[in-house]
Amino acid sequence: MGKTIVEAKDICLTYHEINGETQAVDHLSFSVAKGEFVSIVGPSGCGKTSVLSMLAGLLEPSAGELHLEGGRPGYMLQRDHLLDWRTIEGNILLGLQVQGRLNAQTRENALSLLKTYGLYDFVHSYPRQLSGGMRQKVALIRTLACSPDLLLLDEPFSALDYQTRLTLADEIHAILRKEGKTAILVTHDIAEAISMSDRVLVFSGRPARLKGEHAIHLTAPDSPLKRRNAPEFKEYFDTIWKELDKNV
Amino acid sequence: MSEEKKVPAYSQEHRAYLNSLRRKDRFVTAMRYLLLVACLLIWEVAARLNWIDPFIGSSPARLTAAILRLYQSGELWLHIGITLYETVVGFLLGTLLGTLVAILLWWSPTLSRILDPYLVILNALPKIALGPILIVWFGAGVESIIVMGLLISLVVTIMSVLAGFNAITGEKQLLMRTLGASKLQIFTMVVLPASVPTIMNALKISVGMSWVGVIVGEYLVSKAGLGYLIVYGGQVFNLDLVMASIVILCLLAAIMYYAVAYLEKGICQRMGI
Ligand SMILES: Nc1ncnc2c1ncn2[C@@H]1O[C@H](COP(=O)(O)OP(=O)(O)O)[C@@H](O)[C@H]1O
Ligand SMILES: [Mg+2]
Repeated sequence: MGKTIVEAKDICLTYHEINGETQAVDHLSFSVAKGEFVSIVGPSGCGKTSVLSMLAGLLEPSAGELHLEGGRPGYMLQRDHLLDWRTIEGNILLGLQVQGRLNAQTRENALSLLKTYGLYDFVHSYPRQLSGGMRQKVALIRTLACSPDLLLLDEPFSALDYQTRLTLADEIHAILRKEGKTAILVTHDIAEAISMSDRVLVFSGRPARLKGEHAIHLTAPDSPLKRRNAPEFKEYFDTIWKELDKNV
Repeated sequence: MSEEKKVPAYSQEHRAYLNSLRRKDRFVTAMRYLLLVACLLIWEVAARLNWIDPFIGSSPARLTAAILRLYQSGELWLHIGITLYETVVGFLLGTLLGTLVAILLWWSPTLSRILDPYLVILNALPKIALGPILIVWFGAGVESIIVMGLLISLVVTIMSVLAGFNAITGEKQLLMRTLGASKLQIFTMVVLPASVPTIMNALKISVGMSWVGVIVGEYLVSKAGLGYLIVYGGQVFNLDLVMASIVILCLLAAIMYYAVAYLEKGICQRMGI
């Protein structure tokens, strides 16, 4: 494995609201190496999105230390949030434009991503002309266009139907491997986590603590769909399932 | 024939269905015109047979004659021009100012909270009550009328445009923040374009309000304009003139509304939404 590019040491996060405070993350420590694909699973509402928000720099940890190598991480949300009034081209260039990095070369690079991943025919189409899976792929390309080293994926498949979800997970996994990206995927789907990652982090219920950590070694080709059929798959699934099932 | 050539793939049944839709459309359009013609006819006949007194009820023929007289004396375009000018300027200023204030209030939620009760009160206040003050401040002329047209639509514009801005979901703004966008970029690249439909709808309402403001303004102070004609006609008991002015007003207001609606369609189409 490469060098560590994410290092969280005892990070905590508390939300303050008028009618009380919510501790969302409690002394959480983990690290991610360059090129690794790490998944985070945990009960809903346990603080997974909060952790990603801190990694993305949208929130400051209330305590603890958080180190990130490289520039701004790319963030992919559950919904694609493509802008209706921009063409696909306009949408994938949004990040570059915002960051003032749009030039002939970065633009060419973004368009070549569209070409590589089979969406170039839609470059002048509007988002509403695309299916849900395609839209989510465009959202990924919008993220990749800014060439981040680290990608944060917050349940990017959960708004899609099952079929699309499996295919897209496969495609996106291939894209990220090909582009040599480091990725942290949040999901509540254990099978998705095992099939896509090198390592799975299991979070406790709120406030999120690290409950378990599983390095995944499957004797199957490096494709999420095929990895689901690996003989060891079920074992990992059962272990993680039981870990999640145990209270606190 | 040519329509059928364009859609050869449709089944017999679907064509029949389309035809029935088209027939219905034609029926509705025909009925609209028929209603207008019938009303005019009945009105004319009632006036001629003295069922209603033409002196106080006028009639389509007398009304047309009144318009013709205005036209021949050269006054028609003067009155139309003045009222149109006041309305367009009042409307544009009101929209511009209202949108600017709404942007300011979106930018600073604290300011928005501070000003909220004042906006509510200003909205509830019948702006017409300010008429005498406006006359003292801006003089008994076109300026007062324009300000009246502006004021009457201003608060509504502020409130509906601000509501439009605030309705843009937090998640789209979150996306922009993950890309590293500044507040100004979030506004110009997401919030403003996403609220164009709401803003256009607000315009359709405020264009009507501006007419109200201008006509009321002309009732209070004016030497020309359609509002002036209406008041003057009422004072000298020339109901033909009053009705003629109202008909012209109807046409103008409708044209302006459709112009805004047309603009809306054009903009939305260009934005692909
Ligand atoms: N902005 C916020 N203000 C207050 N509480 C929040 C906020 N965001 C999340 N929370 C609370 O923090 C907890 C963790 O939320 P989140 O990180 O979204 O969980 P997950 O992504 O694992 O479902 C939840 O109880 C949620 O209600
Ligand atoms: Mg979440």
